[in-house]
Amino acid sequence: MLFSLAYRNLWRNGRRSLLTLSAMIVSLALLILALSIFSGMLRDILASATEQYHGHLVISEGDYQENHDLYTTLAETDLPLIERLADSDQVTGLSPRLRGYGLISHTDNSYPAELLGVHPSQEAGVTSLQRQLVAGSALNDGDDRGAIIGETLARRLGVKPGAELVFVTQAADGSIGNDLLIVRGIFKTGDSAHDNGLLLVPLGWLQRTLALPGQVHEVALAIADPMSAPETAARLRPLLPEGVSIVDWGTLLPQMREAIASFDVSRMIFSVILYFATGLGVLNTLFMSVMERTREFGILMAIGLRPGRIRLLVLLESILLGLLGASLGVAGGLVLCALMRDNGLDLSAWITPISYAGGTLPPRLHTVLELRNLLDPTLMLLLTTLIAGVFPARRAARLQPVAAIRMD
Amino acid sequence: MSLIALRNVTKIYTSGSQHIAALSELSLFIKAGDFAVLAGPSGSGKTTILNMVGALDRPTEGAIAVDGVNYDDLSSRQLADFRLHRIGFIFQSYNLIPVLTAAENAEFTLLLQGIAPAERRARIDELFERLDIAELKNRRPGELSGGQQQRVAIARAIAPKPAVILADEPTANLDSHTAAELLNLMRELNEKEGVTFLFSSHDPQVIAHAKRVVRLRDGQLENDVRQPL
Repeated sequence: MLFSLAYRNLWRNGRRSLLTLSAMIVSLALLILALSIFSGMLRDILASATEQYHGHLVISEGDYQENHDLYTTLAETDLPLIERLADSDQVTGLSPRLRGYGLISHTDNSYPAELLGVHPSQEAGVTSLQRQLVAGSALNDGDDRGAIIGETLARRLGVKPGAELVFVTQAADGSIGNDLLIVRGIFKTGDSAHDNGLLLVPLGWLQRTLALPGQVHEVALAIADPMSAPETAARLRPLLPEGVSIVDWGTLLPQMREAIASFDVSRMIFSVILYFATGLGVLNTLFMSVMERTREFGILMAIGLRPGRIRLLVLLESILLGLLGASLGVAGGLVLCALMRDNGLDLSAWITPISYAGGTLPPRLHTVLELRNLLDPTLMLLLTTLIAGVFPARRAARLQPVAAIRMD
Repeated sequence: MSLIALRNVTKIYTSGSQHIAALSELSLFIKAGDFAVLAGPSGSGKTTILNMVGALDRPTEGAIAVDGVNYDDLSSRQLADFRLHRIGFIFQSYNLIPVLTAAENAEFTLLLQGIAPAERRARIDELFERLDIAELKNRRPGELSGGQQQRVAIARAIAPKPAVILADEPTANLDSHTAAELLNLMRELNEKEGVTFLFSSHDPQVIAHAKRVVRLRDGQLENDVRQPL
């Protein structure tokens, strides 16, 4: 009956409760929407940063990721094991890579460049370079000397699809490695480091040119939830052969990790400010309600309700208010998120893509609903209402029955 | 042995630097089955005695025992339990819980006592029949007249079978006809069920219904008489 009494007490002053409830619903729904837009922005910027080059996780020999030493390659015998380990629902793409640095030339123009040797179809499961073509076509797995090249580098070299390129480098056996490439396509990422100096070439071609047959420098992985990359790395790490290391995108892109951490702090500050205001509203409602019922609490005490139960009664009222506000707020938030999930809000008429922390933020606001975008604000709202209920509950429980009954 | 025993009870209220003695070294003993009224003008100490007997307030000096329990050292939680099991209250302005129905109001104390739902309902049904308010069970206090509300308040006080029922000016807000009806009803409960009643009132009608009249003046016992009915 205490529960029923608490519920009925909520509607004694229906207008006041409804006003407080609507403040809670609107604040929760808008917070869920805002956090989901944040998540959409993070997803976009992280995707642009990781899917343009690194992938979400990279497995390599020893300290290759620090010094990019030509000779630090994964043993051929390790590759089947790595592929088996990575064969899980979580891993959505896997691409063995060999990296080479040298001069790329066309007619009289030469520029330093980085060549990433890949199996084109496997690389497409990890990075999006082949989907960002502005001219020509992507590489085929059967193509043994094709290349796709960054847009700025192509412009400097003066090449178009079909043009021949010459690559010169020092091979692993000490010889001068050089060979012809044919431009198949030109990509543009918006990231100057890639557009100025990166080429994707067939893995077999680069292995021959660098005299590293059957060897790769790294295996890049894409996973379903990029934010869980550290946990996936930690799970795979002990299963890898000795001397082989795995790093996540946070290690490869520390500035992106910092950016995301700062986003998290912003989310928290945003939530706290919003709920501070909401909490004051709830506190006001409950305090007024307790003040108005002082005499009634005195009567309840007189007929034998323990002070602890008086406290519980008021807390139940605040919890019920919180649960009602949370359920309706979550429903409202879900509707708003659904409305902005697919199409979102296109801002391209007003702003251009923004490069930030190694990623690119497109001029579009859309929502990505993550569980924590629902759970965090909902739990915070419930906690806020509970805290707001503590003071009125304590006051009600501390009333002296005689004094309370005398109150009009 | 007395059901209620007040021994040399003094109650002083302090307001700023003023000390007001509501009771001065008052001793009073009420036996089980009594139907007594504390009579006297406003400020004579009637409500103060009821508050202290009802464990709502403590004496400044002296001792009070109800049903053999001296509650001097009881905590507020223990006092609440004491009131729940041994004291029934009937207030001047009924003081029903407005969001509960008549039956729920009466049932509330039984619920606090942990009585099973079937027994609770049976006891409330029987009481409402006896108090002639069976058809009002599902109405809220706001939908009831003053007399009907006071009947529900009586049901609430009696339902948990307390040792004593304390009634503070229970007929003050009722017309004389309704007041007489309720007094007869309480008297019937006293005689048939042996329920002990202690009233406070200056209403001659209430005083006329009492078996025993304790007159107070300025916080002291003026006289204490049993009257034939």
